[in-house]
Amino acid sequence: MGMLPFGSFAAKENNSNRNRIKIPPYLKKGDSIGICCPSGYSTMADIQQSIIQIESWGYQVKLGQTIGKRDFTFGGTDAERAADFQQMMDDDSVKAIMCATGGYGAVRMVDMLNFARFKKKPKWIIGFSDITVLHCHLNQVVHTASLHSKMCGSFPKDWAIADEIQVNTILSIKRALEGEKIVYPIISNTNNRIGEAEGVLVGGNLKILENMSGSISSINTDGKILFVEDVSEPLYNIDRMLCNLLRAGKLANLKGLIIGGFTSIKTDTPDSPFGRDIITIVKEKVDQFNYPVCFDFPVGHQKNNFALKCGLVHRLTVGQDAVSLQEIN
Amino acid sequence: MIKVPPYLSKGSTIGLTCPAGYMELDKVQNCIHTLQNWGYEVMVGKTIGSKSKTYFSGTDSARRDEFQAMLDDKNIHAILCGRGGYGVSRFIDQLDFSTFKKHPKWIIGFSDITVFLAHLHTQLNTASIHSPMANAFNEGGHKSIYVQSLQKALKGIKSNYTAAPNSKNKIGKASGQLIGGNLALLAHLCGTKSAYKTNGKILFIEDIGEYIYNIDRMFLQLKRAGHLKKLAGLIVGKFTEIKDNPRPFGQTIPELILQHVAEYNYPVCFEFPVSHEKENLALKVGIEHLLSVSKKAIQLKEL
Repeated sequence: MGMLPFGSFAAKENNSNRNRIKIPPYLKKGDSIGICCPSGYSTMADIQQSIIQIESWGYQVKLGQTIGKRDFTFGGTDAERAADFQQMMDDDSVKAIMCATGGYGAVRMVDMLNFARFKKKPKWIIGFSDITVLHCHLNQVVHTASLHSKMCGSFPKDWAIADEIQVNTILSIKRALEGEKIVYPIISNTNNRIGEAEGVLVGGNLKILENMSGSISSINTDGKILFVEDVSEPLYNIDRMLCNLLRAGKLANLKGLIIGGFTSIKTDTPDSPFGRDIITIVKEKVDQFNYPVCFDFPVGHQKNNFALKCGLVHRLTVGQDAVSLQEIN
Repeated sequence: MIKVPPYLSKGSTIGLTCPAGYMELDKVQNCIHTLQNWGYEVMVGKTIGSKSKTYFSGTDSARRDEFQAMLDDKNIHAILCGRGGYGVSRFIDQLDFSTFKKHPKWIIGFSDITVFLAHLHTQLNTASIHSPMANAFNEGGHKSIYVQSLQKALKGIKSNYTAAPNSKNKIGKASGQLIGGNLALLAHLCGTKSAYKTNGKILFIEDIGEYIYNIDRMFLQLKRAGHLKKLAGLIVGKFTEIKDNPRPFGQTIPELILQHVAEYNYPVCFEFPVSHEKENLALKVGIEHLLSVSKKAIQLKEL
């Protein structure tokens, strides 16, 4: 009998509970947050409210060259968006980068980025939807934590009269950046699968997770807690995207699964209904596994979209009556 | 060497099944009659014109069991899918190909059926046919060169297609196994065991009803998954019913494709007659072809 292969043992440990992800420094008053457009375009007017709020929190704002730039749907050409993002990553005075908006375009520029300096001096990259490209790449290739949250366009126009959920979701970004540990109690759903899980939190927009499959940016989900959300997709396509994750082996060895919002689902044609709702579609894929699953988690293209720290270890507790997600790094 | 299923002869039987979306029995009558006129027997599966009230032609297990039965039935010499839609990915991993491996047969279709064509190529090293399906036989379509190209393919006649030149084509010659299908499905297969291995091969793609930005994203998925880098050649079929947003994408299909493959040197041609429209020539997936893209014409010749 040969010796235990130490290398594979160590690799296995890395995949389960040892987290080798770098956590960027949390922010202090006076720090600068950069704002730029790696995907769709954003005007100065679009981000005005976010600047006012971020400054009121005691941070400075540094605007990238891509703000107000436009190349059709994009916030500048691929090269311009990549250069602006690169500049933000390499500028030591910028302590976090908030993406102004999603849309489409991050995948067109991500491979142009050089993370050498960023790896030595990591900073929080903030956003969701198309920014899932960056979350995946940061997790799998750059091994750095990032913040999945609302972006500049979602800041309320009038903070004083904004509704409570909108204010709380925006404040969850501030709390996360200040280093407050995340604890989100969630309303239970009778379709949940009960259980507890501890693991690195990863996830984002389902369409983007499928789009990353087969590429270097595709997250190894083994031993992790995965969250997914999407907007404006037809049911058959949600099913097809989950089939991709299943067939690519992304669902088999999860610790837990968090289903966020699937909003503005495109309606079926009346004479050929898909015949399954989101809950059934998910259950069909994960019935063969035993980890906890919760539905209606407040993440998605909706008002209740709370900040989540991708890459950090969390505990997901799915009980009969209560659900919670807690950061335990 | 890739396994080439036996070509059909007079009296061979073609199984007709719907492994994905629902299809009415009326819609396959012209197809059945034409196949019979070609001298074949037709065995119509129960998934065609089934009692299903949903999008699918039957439950996953009903579709799977029928496909499995047709794979295993030695009296069936080819399986023609009635239509695509969506649904093959839901059950393909439950199929048992052990009998099929010993007795391969032609699997025929396109669109969602791309999942089978890719899986057969990568996992089973077996050739298949990307071609029109039952609906293409309707409205006089059975007389078209496209449906007739399927008849020739089934007989084992080597294809030699020419298509119109296009000013955006990248000139050159390539030979290699022909692979491809619907772009959305090719992207969907990335990361799975069914994805094509594309090195040294000629890839064809087509799609329908997609937003331009999404075509860009799917094409980039193929690139980032390494599926474009070492191609021998790229055949871009027709992309029809393309959608765009109020904020226009700003690039056409040829423009975005040429941008993403600018760093590669293989020939590229556009508007090849493979599509969701009538222009859909039968293409033998897995078989060696010669692609010749010149200023005057596109030629795709089976070797």
